Amino acid sequence: MSQEIAHWLDNLLEEIEGIEIRRKSSRRVRVDVPADALPALLELLQGRAGYIHLSAISCVDWIEDEEFELVYHVWSYESHSLVSAHIRIAREPGVYLSVYDLYQPAAFFERDIHEMYGIHFEGSPNMDKFILTEWDGPPPMRKEFDSEAYINEHLSWQAYNPPWLQALIAEGGGVVIPPEEQRFSRKKD
Amino acid sequence: MRPENYEAQRQPPSNEYELNFGPNHPGIEGNYALKVKLHGDVVLEAKADGGYLHRGFEKLMEQRLWIQNIALVPRICVPDPSPMELCYSMAVEQLCGLKVPKRARWIRVMQLELSRIAAHLFTFGGHAATTGMYSTMYWGVADRDLLLDLFEEFTGGRVYSIYNIPGGVRRELPDGFLQRVTETLDYIESRLADYDNLFFKNQVFVKRAKGVGVMSREQALAWGVTGPNLRATGLAFDVRRDDPYLVYDQLDFDIPTEENGDAWARTLVRRHELMQSIRILRQVVEALPDIHGPIRAPIPNPLAWNVPAGETYTRVESSKGELCYYVVSDGGPKPYRVHVRGPSSMHAVQVLEKLSVGSRIEDIAQTMFSLDACPPEVDR
Repeated sequence: MSQEIAHWLDNLLEEIEGIEIRRKSSRRVRVDVPADALPALLELLQGRAGYIHLSAISCVDWIEDEEFELVYHVWSYESHSLVSAHIRIAREPGVYLSVYDLYQPAAFFERDIHEMYGIHFEGSPNMDKFILTEWDGPPPMRKEFDSEAYINEHLSWQAYNPPWLQALIAEGGGVVIPPEEQRFSRKKD
Repeated sequence: MRPENYEAQRQPPSNEYELNFGPNHPGIEGNYALKVKLHGDVVLEAKADGGYLHRGFEKLMEQRLWIQNIALVPRICVPDPSPMELCYSMAVEQLCGLKVPKRARWIRVMQLELSRIAAHLFTFGGHAATTGMYSTMYWGVADRDLLLDLFEEFTGGRVYSIYNIPGGVRRELPDGFLQRVTETLDYIESRLADYDNLFFKNQVFVKRAKGVGVMSREQALAWGVTGPNLRATGLAFDVRRDDPYLVYDQLDFDIPTEENGDAWARTLVRRHELMQSIRILRQVVEALPDIHGPIRAPIPNPLAWNVPAGETYTRVESSKGELCYYVVSDGGPKPYRVHVRGPSSMHAVQVLEKLSVGSRIEDIAQTMFSLDACPPEVDR
């Protein structure tokens, strides 16, 4: 991205209140905005700066701050640069606006985030389950969901001790560490 | 999908009916399904149904050490695993400010391009099989095996090489390896004419693929299409050239494009890319003997490695399109968040749904294979 375009972009984005722009490298720009200013920002980026490709929407669960961070990565085929727009929304009730009317790829990412984090996107075309159709537990990517604890609570470990393994152990080989210690090795501290 | 969760659907009094296309179907790539509504054999509506390959990688990665995740990431995309390793390693390097030695960067390019050739050959094989041309399938898989032999020799793993680590690559190339790369490339190149005759110019295939799954450039851009599928609509965009990483800005290669945006154009773009990958590999083979030095930067004890807090978004061009990782660290020994954006999360869901509508049921396989959709990338 040339200096000229970078300047032009900075001037353009200054129109939005409460915006913080950080240039991370020649092709990467990080923008932090208040949640209610994001649609205006994306509209500006798409309509006037050529950022027509929504590369991804990422969600990060900051459980200690009681917040979700949503990151919209948009790419410009003209200036060959990527703007990552960061917003924070409250963890409860976890509702935000869909950007589907600006970027059609948002439908997949919003559906995915809804499924994995339980955030509802108002106006998104499809909030049905896609990957976890058989799942009725809590949204699994939330930090408070401990997958290992869930497994211990709902499933039972199967004892696997076939004759060939017993023979191997009797000869002094095979599995030496008991299975429970192998599985929970990270709990020892 | 358990049978007890299905209720028999009352069919309206018409010629419309619903059909489950997949998850076990020769016309579907991997374990994936489409629920299609048909009138006769014309698709009225298609809904993608994923999740059969969901293994919870993103959650698992939050529970593993930074270095352990290297063994997890290649499993996200089975046919083309190397870009996954690289994308994750690049993210960790950016967070730590690690500078990768020059020799490692060149070796990484070699690994990526070998993987791209293997992935494309595999796709051609699968694609040809959907038109009943099994010879091409056998050839594609057999020729891919030669590349897997190379992978086995220089990384130790045939499919999942687990060769990149943050900071560089794991081991030095074996003696005489570059010579064997050249021999394999010569062989693959000599085979391309045969592939052209048997598959790419074969009227059995051309007539099946031409005009199927057509999308315009505007549609492709609006739907988030990337990679060879985007280039088949005439837009010469390639992350390797336009958002360069490793040493791609020092390499000489073309970006093949086609104009029609149909299944045939997409296949041809991949066919031309095969040649470009061979061209890149020849340059790497020529340059590598003169590049000396370490193959990885020193890293802290990987079992007690706290990566500095921060976030980064890395992109590479995989054989299927734009592959991105969004990695967040809170300064701890494990990633706080890893988000994998596979190119197929667009191609296999929205794009496939839209392109299937109006086509005939036998063309769904053409559309899906020509999009080179990789379901494990969608499910993660």
